[in-house]
Amino acid sequence: MAQKRQVRVGSQWMYARDAEKALGEALRVMKEEEEGHGHHESFVTKYLFSQDHKWIGVQYGFTALCFLLFGFFLMIMMRLQLGWPNQPFAVIKWFFHGTGTMLPEQYNQLGAMHGTIMVFLAIVPLAVGAFGNYVVPLQIGAPDMAFPKLNMASYWCYLPGGLVMLASMFLLQSKGGGAQSGWTSYPPLSVIASQGQTWWLVGMIFLITSSLLGSVNFIVTIIQLRAKGMTWDRLPFFVWAQFVTSFLLLLAFPPLEAAGVLQLMDRVAGTSFFLPSGLVVSGEVLKNAGGGNPLLWQHLFWFLAHPEVYVLILPAMGIVGEIIANNTRKPLWGYRVMVYAILFLGFMSFLVWAHHMFLTGMGTVISAFFQTTTMIISVPSVIVLTALLLSLYGGSIRFNTPMLFALAFLPMFGIGGLTGLPLGLASSDIPLHDTMYVVGHFHYVVAPGTIFALFAGIYYWYPKITGRMMNEALGLVHFVGSFISMNGILFPMLILGLGGVNRRLYDGGMQYALGQPLHGLQVGMSYAAWTLALFQLPFIWNVFASVKFGRVADANPWHATTLEWTAAPTPPIAHGNFETIPAVYRPAYEYSVPGSAEDFVPQNSGPV
Amino acid sequence: MEIPYTASVRPDTGVTNQTLGMWLFLASEVMLFGSLFSSYALLRSGAMSWPDQSSIVNVPLAAVNTVILIASSVVILRATAALRGGDVARFRALMATTATLGIVFLAIKSIEYRGELAEGLRPSTNNFVGLYFVMTFLHAMHVTGGVLVNLFLCGPGMVMNRRDAPRFLGRVEAATLYWNFIDVIWILMFVVLYLL
Repeated sequence: MAQKRQVRVGSQWMYARDAEKALGEALRVMKEEEEGHGHHESFVTKYLFSQDHKWIGVQYGFTALCFLLFGFFLMIMMRLQLGWPNQPFAVIKWFFHGTGTMLPEQYNQLGAMHGTIMVFLAIVPLAVGAFGNYVVPLQIGAPDMAFPKLNMASYWCYLPGGLVMLASMFLLQSKGGGAQSGWTSYPPLSVIASQGQTWWLVGMIFLITSSLLGSVNFIVTIIQLRAKGMTWDRLPFFVWAQFVTSFLLLLAFPPLEAAGVLQLMDRVAGTSFFLPSGLVVSGEVLKNAGGGNPLLWQHLFWFLAHPEVYVLILPAMGIVGEIIANNTRKPLWGYRVMVYAILFLGFMSFLVWAHHMFLTGMGTVISAFFQTTTMIISVPSVIVLTALLLSLYGGSIRFNTPMLFALAFLPMFGIGGLTGLPLGLASSDIPLHDTMYVVGHFHYVVAPGTIFALFAGIYYWYPKITGRMMNEALGLVHFVGSFISMNGILFPMLILGLGGVNRRLYDGGMQYALGQPLHGLQVGMSYAAWTLALFQLPFIWNVFASVKFGRVADANPWHATTLEWTAAPTPPIAHGNFETIPAVYRPAYEYSVPGSAEDFVPQNSGPV
Repeated sequence: MEIPYTASVRPDTGVTNQTLGMWLFLASEVMLFGSLFSSYALLRSGAMSWPDQSSIVNVPLAAVNTVILIASSVVILRATAALRGGDVARFRALMATTATLGIVFLAIKSIEYRGELAEGLRPSTNNFVGLYFVMTFLHAMHVTGGVLVNLFLCGPGMVMNRRDAPRFLGRVEAATLYWNFIDVIWILMFVVLYLL
């Protein structure tokens, strides 16, 4: 007779057959309860206009992943043009209804929309809207977000904003196409650009409203709805990261809203807030009042967009912190220092914006000031990265898929951060400014940095959401392929930039003598982009197929300490998250506590 | 499922969700109006010439409006006090007065706009007039929102007072904070756009 194996249910070990019986019983009781309590929700209130933070998180996540894929597709088309300039391709013909050869203004559209979609419609909604929404209330022991209706409204401002952006690309091709002034929309070019820019501004106003509603909600939830005993120094690092992120969103976005309104006025009401006197457009002096200042836009824009950079990276750091503590089976090294570091980071991020404007002639005094603050802000990032690296030391590391992505985040964000230092110093920024080096730098931060952390988070929290594990073998393929091809795209950018190739050249620099010898790199990068696309297929399959075919996850598959695993059922119950709201007795990462029976002690396990 | 601390104060933080949420919202509003005021400062300080503001806009009407809005701020505070003291009828009357004063403010503002449009002033005339229209219109939209909320609170919204009085009081307090904030923004606008 075969040996009987035991499985773990909650804190109990039992024979598999008994567990199956218990599961059947549990399902029956849950079904009864659901019917008995009369939660007769219609399809509309349950799936469309849900006020449950978990479903809203899933809505955000799914929408954001779709936008991520679309933004990636735009990039693929750009890479076709950069690798093989001015050659016709069927996909370009299909997308632009043209001859198949990409026009410069079409390339500009792709660039502007790729940036906008990736930052505002993919990464931030995924990092904050999806992960923050789903995980934060569970981790702090809250029954839901503080304002469920606002939460719903936040998603329903985000979606129209995104659709307006998309519509501008698909509906306006006969009228000049979508926005094409870069994701930064610098005037005066953006003011005199075609109609798509107006749609861009309208879309942005929706997105800003959405993030405002979301950030108020997050801050209030974290301050007010922490469970009993969940003191500030017991908050998981991920929650701290979301907390700081929300403050950045709350305070940095309104200036862009003001700037957006002013640019909209410039475009539709003929004002000249951003248009200087005597501007010559197509050989004629523009007939407007003049007296405006294009730099005003840059100040307002970067006052948002620099904190926005930290909005992109902080949730990623939070996710990586969770996963590293869990998979090294050790408390985070220097938890408290990390928290102080990100608080300081959040504060400083409001004081560095003009390092994006060293070449605008602000003057050396202002440049020196912003150069100094920029060097200062690199310190807390290095603290967090160092603490995460030191957390690895002496741990018995489990190399599962989330951990692989989290580990890859460290050197990738390291490269991204370190290549930023020469850009933060005004003198070395002069030759590097507006080259492919800048593109390489911020993509290293956001693509293999943040996106890898987001992948890690998806693999880590997937069993929480669906009750099933994702496939580890497919995860490994996804990881290795993405890691190599991502570097294959991005590292050559740094070389191209150092070689002097400008960014936003629609032929990849072929018209310049300095760009021609480097063209081989462009071709290689394009192949790497296709490879990257190929290696996303196992991931997409994994996400959808594991809902049905994945191994059933037990309540705490990663043996984690935080409340979302130890106190909430997996997958969580629809209303209220917890059977009873848990109380918290210990810090967030009590792994390998000497003398305890298991190598982790849940936050809600009672006082000894 | 009940969200805790919606109307009751959380002991260790000392606030309700509603109050904290409103303060945070106002913080973002400070950044919104703050950047408009900063834009004004930057454009004016960099301008070759700047028109004599008080000769363009209607200072007397705006002064009347300032008095009206300050008065409404006092009235809404009295309304909140009345509700806190349990005098629902008095609350209702005072809240309705606040909303009425808000409507009067908007009416006077539209008379101002009409006069300026009749003189041929447009946002495109120059940057001062442009900023004047943008900033005061944005403020007027905030007033409109506030008036609607105030009307709701002394009208259909009062049902909640019978069902869940502490939560209703929380709503009224949040609306009061908002209304006072709008008042402060208007005073700043009056000084910067009319008098300076």
